[in-house]
Amino acid sequence: MAIVRTEKLSKVYNPDTVPVHALRDVSIEINEGEFTAVRGPSGSGKTTLLNMIGGLDKPTSGNVFINGQEISKMKDSKRIDFRLQNIGFVFQHYNLIPVFTARENVSFIMLLQKRNKKEIQQRADELLEQVGLGERKDARPVQLSGGQQQRVAVARALASEPKFILADEPTANLDTESAMNLLDIMEKMNHEQNVTFVFSTHDQRVIDRARRVITMVDGAIHKDEIQHTDEKQDA
Amino acid sequence: MNEIFKISWRNIWRNPGRSGVLLAAIVAGVWAGVTTSAVTNGFVDQRFDRLINEVSHLQIHHPEFRTERETSMFIPQAEEIIEFLSRDDRLETLSARAIAEGLIQSPANNAGIQVFGVDPDLEQATTSIQDDIVEGEYLDSDIRNPIIIGRKLAEKLNADLGMRLVLTFQDVDEDLTSTVFNVAGIYTSLSGAEERLVYTRMSDLQEHLSENPVYHQIAVVLRDEAQIESFVAELNDTFPGSETLSWYNLSPELRLYADLGNQVVYYLMGIIMLALAFGILNTMLMAIFERTRELGMLMAVGMNKARVFFMICLESILITLTGASAGMMLSALSIRYLHSNGLDLSAFSEGLAEFGYDAILYPSLGAESFLGITLMVAIIAIMASIYPALKAIRLEPAVAARE
Ligand SMILES: Nc1ncnc2c1ncn2[C@@H]1O[C@H](COP(=O)(O)OP(=O)(O)O)[C@@H](O)[C@H]1O
Ligand SMILES: [Mg+2]
Repeated sequence: MAIVRTEKLSKVYNPDTVPVHALRDVSIEINEGEFTAVRGPSGSGKTTLLNMIGGLDKPTSGNVFINGQEISKMKDSKRIDFRLQNIGFVFQHYNLIPVFTARENVSFIMLLQKRNKKEIQQRADELLEQVGLGERKDARPVQLSGGQQQRVAVARALASEPKFILADEPTANLDTESAMNLLDIMEKMNHEQNVTFVFSTHDQRVIDRARRVITMVDGAIHKDEIQHTDEKQDA
Repeated sequence: MNEIFKISWRNIWRNPGRSGVLLAAIVAGVWAGVTTSAVTNGFVDQRFDRLINEVSHLQIHHPEFRTERETSMFIPQAEEIIEFLSRDDRLETLSARAIAEGLIQSPANNAGIQVFGVDPDLEQATTSIQDDIVEGEYLDSDIRNPIIIGRKLAEKLNADLGMRLVLTFQDVDEDLTSTVFNVAGIYTSLSGAEERLVYTRMSDLQEHLSENPVYHQIAVVLRDEAQIESFVAELNDTFPGSETLSWYNLSPELRLYADLGNQVVYYLMGIIMLALAFGILNTMLMAIFERTRELGMLMAVGMNKARVFFMICLESILITLTGASAGMMLSALSIRYLHSNGLDLSAFSEGLAEFGYDAILYPSLGAESFLGITLMVAIIAIMASIYPALKAIRLEPAVAARE
């Protein structure tokens, strides 16, 4: 069974004033272990689609199933908890908690999950090491570069052991080196831990590294293709 | 959850300038409010102390004496009551008085007055009359038929020390009687007493009132104010033929002062805190406005609304309590200083004396007022935090992903 399945998903913003059809009848499936890019020009509906899949916003019509559960009909409070347990998020603007250190940022989400304190500390440290920030655990976001902050965000997204991670333009604010470095880390997690990633981007260098590329135009899926990357496949 | 506590506390210091201004306003507001309350309270206390000294803790009368004021309405069983009181160890002191309404005449003028016939020693122990004498002597004077009159009455009668004054009043049989008294002393008082209340020796007045000694009023001071109420009830039970009332029921002015003393601090703090509440509200709304994306992110990654609500409330509560504690500490210090050194108001003392105040004021504030203020500050902090917190949880998590 697919982790994510959408059925004729549509979203209209401002239906009563100036309606904007951001999504039109989008039906897709995402399976476990995918490393998928959603591409398309600005305004094509990438963020809207990711927000629907992530349960951050409700569709105007259609359904979103995560692990077979229809989330767009859930009550707000239940959906928040569902996100906490099932979905990891990475945002374009990093969106870390500025008053917390890297380690506290990664731990926080696990504390919200009410996990065991000791396990939290250990996992936070491990994750920060995996994203190459073993030395910067006690730094606050302002003390970190954009690339480093985004790596903390990836560690945070992974911390809650979600079914999949959604990343909306994760490299948009990064220079090439940091962007490629972030992609390396994401790819490594995908290979080694079978973490499912869905990310939106309009950066060709990032698109080249995806295995599946969904192209959106005007809120609809224009193309959905599997591409063969140069990466060596599963060891 | 102490993680939320940590975010809230650190969030306060994210904008040190803005939080600093709010904190300073809270410190200054609480300090000014509490200290002013203490000064006002000092005024009220001072006046209250002097007024209650005139009234005593409780008084016993013939049931109709207070309305009718007839000499014939003396206390039945007065001797038994005095005996009863004297044996009770709750008693600090008492003064039994004979009272007559009448007319006083000097060569220049005359006036309606009330005469107190008192035992000089007992009266002096019960009230501050002896200390209030500004000219001449107390009733232990050597002159014959001494009388003490108030300063205002003396001015009206154009009377000096030693002057002979004629008193005319009814005896217990409602016959008019006249007798001559000599001015021994002149006193001042806070209340209207100095215009119409004169003091003579019980023995000098008594002989013109009746064959046997009569008493119209027994003023009682107890060792412990807390026992006034129960003692009054007991006396009313034991001597149903007389009426025993506490100061609270005897003097509307005193009752007003007693209530005022407790309330003034709350009114004052209420106004100050209301102003501060708007400051808190404004600061918090600004903070939330600036953190829209961050708050959206917190809800996006799974922080539920109850926690977000709590986090925002906690932020304003922490800043308020921090400022208020500092303000209270500062107030406690300044009140303690003023209380032991006194606040010298002699620059205004002429005006104050008109109203019967001393030149040196001793501000004070009870522990229960401090507690009350703390409670009030906390309640207002919570109230001012609710609206921003509601605004925060109404944010859409999707804002986290938007530009
Ligand atoms: N909150 C919103 N209100 C109104 N229109 C919106 C809102 N969010 C997005 N849109 C519109 O919906 C369309 C799709 O936007 P978006 O999903 O952000 O595209 P992308 O992420 O591909 O740039 C755009 O035309 C955008 O202007
Ligand atoms: Mg977008």
